[in-house]
Amino acid sequence: MPMYGDQGNKLVQHAKRMQNLAHLPPYQTELVRAVTREVRDLDKDVASLLEPFQGSFDPSADQSTACTLLVNHLSMRRNKRCLLAYHRTRTDKLEELVWNGSDVLDLAGQQAGGVANGAAATVDSGASSSLSPQEEDYVRQFGDLLAAYKGQWTDIDLTGSLEPPRDLFIDVRVLKDAGEIQTEYGAINLTKNSQFYVRQGDVERLIAQGYLQKLG
Amino acid sequence: MDIDDILREVDPTFHAVPQEKRSLQELTRAWIAERSAPELLPWPADGLFERVNGSIKRQIEKVEEMTGDMDPKTNFALIVIQTELERFKYLIRSYLRARISKIDKHTLHYLSTDALRSRLSEMELAYATRHQALLHNHYLSSFLSSFPSGLQNLNDSAGINMVESPDLESAVFIRLLKDTLVEGRGVDSDGAMDGRESDIVILRWADAKPLVENGSAELV
Repeated sequence: MPMYGDQGNKLVQHAKRMQNLAHLPPYQTELVRAVTREVRDLDKDVASLLEPFQGSFDPSADQSTACTLLVNHLSMRRNKRCLLAYHRTRTDKLEELVWNGSDVLDLAGQQAGGVANGAAATVDSGASSSLSPQEEDYVRQFGDLLAAYKGQWTDIDLTGSLEPPRDLFIDVRVLKDAGEIQTEYGAINLTKNSQFYVRQGDVERLIAQGYLQKLG
Repeated sequence: MDIDDILREVDPTFHAVPQEKRSLQELTRAWIAERSAPELLPWPADGLFERVNGSIKRQIEKVEEMTGDMDPKTNFALIVIQTELERFKYLIRSYLRARISKIDKHTLHYLSTDALRSRLSEMELAYATRHQALLHNHYLSSFLSSFPSGLQNLNDSAGINMVESPDLESAVFIRLLKDTLVEGRGVDSDGAMDGRESDIVILRWADAKPLVENGSAELV
């Protein structure tokens, strides 16, 4: 017979595993629902246990009931905690992606495709995203929030590299056609496989987005 | 040679304007402290960031002015100034990001009391409040709304405390700025020593905090 908290524990294990993954595994809709249901059932149990006492329950008079109540009480909170931990780990991951400037919603779709092409070759429920609809909303809203906060620092790109700058100019190789960019030394046409010596600040975004590769 | 020296070397205003140098030192110090301290430190109150932002703006203008000039001498100066600018920007970026990551980690904790809220800058406060609201909304729409109403809060403390706070007992390194008595709590027994200026000590942040706050030590 499943114990209280078994489902919650599974969620936490999912969250733990997720921390070491590069991508975001699919949202555990069923598990989340099951844990939530468990909480509701426990709450109903508590209500029905307390009903005959009409609000005048004395724990020392009926210790077995008191113990049941305590276990139910703690199990509910533990489940809540597990759910919070699971969702928080996921949102942390999503926020990290937003900070890195990758298009999360686009990426989630690509990932589903990538898994299908890879050695695993498990068709990952078509092109559906590994995010829950709520998470997609969250990513959009967090993106707006971040943009708003960043916008207040006009001269500093907060999402820029956190590596200390060593050289003003760097060598880059173009991995994907990125079109023409304007720099203070004139326009550069970034065509695939060409190589340039450019100012790091001008191309930081393109490196983060995978258009350019830093050399040396 | 530490970052101070490197920055000083490329700072063309080093000999002329002590004000800018002071700002830079303050910024570097705030940056180092923020990165080593386990909890969020107060936002610099004396307008440090207005000053730094001002000097960044001036430097950007100077760069724009000099760009048209093809004289090799100006060109060299341009590169020096731009390098300095990039490093300045990096310091600020890294500092702000270090703060944001701490705020994100323990948002509810920092929003819980006025004393803690006052450590955040206005922008950060707005960001943290909004971020927490987003998170709460996300939890609500994902699962919390189908919970019994008594369990829908995020800050309940009955049974299990749901508000995480930073670990004030984690270890930090400090450098003493003057001779002072250093007291620290250990696992088995507590210790005390007469510290001398420029000694470097490792101890719990909770023990180091008073020394740092009264200016007897700085974080390294």
